[in-house]
Amino acid sequence: MVELERRGIPTVIFTAQAFVHDARRSAQSFGLAGLPLAVVPTPLTNQRPEDIHRMAEEAFDQIVGGLTRPVEAFAGGDRPPAEERLAYDGANLLEAWDSMNRDFLARGWSDGFPLVAPTDRAVETMLQNAARDGGEIIATLEPGFGVATVEKLAINAVMAGCGPEHLPLLIAAVRCLAEPKMYLRNKAMSTGPHAPLVLVNGPKGRAANLNAGMCALGPGAPSASNTVLGRAVRLTMMNVGHTYVGVSDMDTIGSPLKYSLCCAENETASPWAPYHVTRGYAREASTVTVHFVYGICELHDFRSTRPEDLIQVFATAVTNVAQVGTGLWLIGRRADPRYKTEEREHNTLFVCPEHAQIFAREGWDRARIQEALYKAARLPFRTLMLNKEPKAREAAHPELGWLADHPDLPLPVVEEPGCFDIAVVGGAAGRGAYFYGAGEPVTMPVEG
Amino acid sequence: MENLEVLSPVAKVVEHSVKPAARLRDLGEATIGLYWNMKAGGDAALDRTEQLLRARFPGARFKRYTGSVGWLMRHCTAEDADRIASEVHAVVGTTND
Repeated sequence: MVELERRGIPTVIFTAQAFVHDARRSAQSFGLAGLPLAVVPTPLTNQRPEDIHRMAEEAFDQIVGGLTRPVEAFAGGDRPPAEERLAYDGANLLEAWDSMNRDFLARGWSDGFPLVAPTDRAVETMLQNAARDGGEIIATLEPGFGVATVEKLAINAVMAGCGPEHLPLLIAAVRCLAEPKMYLRNKAMSTGPHAPLVLVNGPKGRAANLNAGMCALGPGAPSASNTVLGRAVRLTMMNVGHTYVGVSDMDTIGSPLKYSLCCAENETASPWAPYHVTRGYAREASTVTVHFVYGICELHDFRSTRPEDLIQVFATAVTNVAQVGTGLWLIGRRADPRYKTEEREHNTLFVCPEHAQIFAREGWDRARIQEALYKAARLPFRTLMLNKEPKAREAAHPELGWLADHPDLPLPVVEEPGCFDIAVVGGAAGRGAYFYGAGEPVTMPVEG
Repeated sequence: MENLEVLSPVAKVVEHSVKPAARLRDLGEATIGLYWNMKAGGDAALDRTEQLLRARFPGARFKRYTGSVGWLMRHCTAEDADRIASEVHAVVGTTND
């Protein structure tokens, strides 16, 4: 709508009451905070036509007014606070720190857990290892178009509990987030529980003590490095990208995966080339891959000893039509029109070392697993379309209109076999993990 | 009394500015675009809006649009926006929730 206003066309847009702040912030980010809204009580989704019609009738004066009355500057726009330093008093430093945590929480700068105080000294220590100027701009992060300087990343890394060894990894993750193909705006602001899955490959992940083995995505001392790096990514999305719940993160239920979701690949236990080699990097390179995911499903199988049987079990996790990405290719591709990017819906499999050995023993590589899963994971057209807009299917694939006459035809749930990204992660026992993905992963090298 | 001084984690933002379009004096002779991003329910809201606008502004004309790219939400490209801007005087949209 802002782009139409820029072209001289007056617009008005339906917006649910709960999304007014979000719409205002979004319009402000694009330069027009006062974009006229026709506010309706609830989202239009999942409403009966007669209820939608009633809402349109009640909003009619706003629609006419939005197109005919002058647009007034919106005074309630959000702006980042100007102060670069904050001071907190207390009877002792512990009390002052507690006061800082309460204030940061109130301002929306915290994920809810206690934060490490980003003092001058702590941030300087973080920066010493980076061999970068604090003012260097790494990227501009959406949805708020926040300027990601090295110093701001260091501050958020300190708050998350990171050490200096984590900062180069965080910088690489931020570069992933900022890639146009990541379409961060969509994933950060959505009503879906998009969580950035951070996968680290190479020697710098090992040097930073990232856990690739037992309970790599869980709590506890072995995964402390994973926890703080994943947390730093989330805090950076919030305080640098300006992704704030209820304002620019409209997640319906949320997900614990959004607090921190980070590990390394278990390269030593993998029978295959490391994941980042499949992404075009040299084996000795260090990389960070970020793939936004909606949720996780266990890939449990203690019984199978043949690849074909494992594939059948894995396919049951993949064929879950309640998960938004399943069969989504039928209605198009995730696309950011500003950059003319398109994403296929990928999903990430963490194959545990024991299952990986079953595949490798029979000579199966990643490509063969991808192909077999692509063939095994199918659902009838009518099932895939249960939660999809038929008109979107017509718009995306007019050549597939004939499917309406073959509702029971089994179709693949992803666009192509390469939509399954496979890494080896975890300890002993036949329990992997399947991540329902949102769009494509992005990989960046770790520098410095 | 102890004092703890810390650095702000919040980044400055790149500001953008767009001048709003001049509004129409009335909609009586206007061609009005109805833009649906294909999120469920938006089409029904636009259907009723068109009925109401036709009733109040009998001379108004209407054109329907959706974006040429996307998936759950179909987005408007720059080319789409140029085309819409060349064909209508105003737009009512359903793109948010």
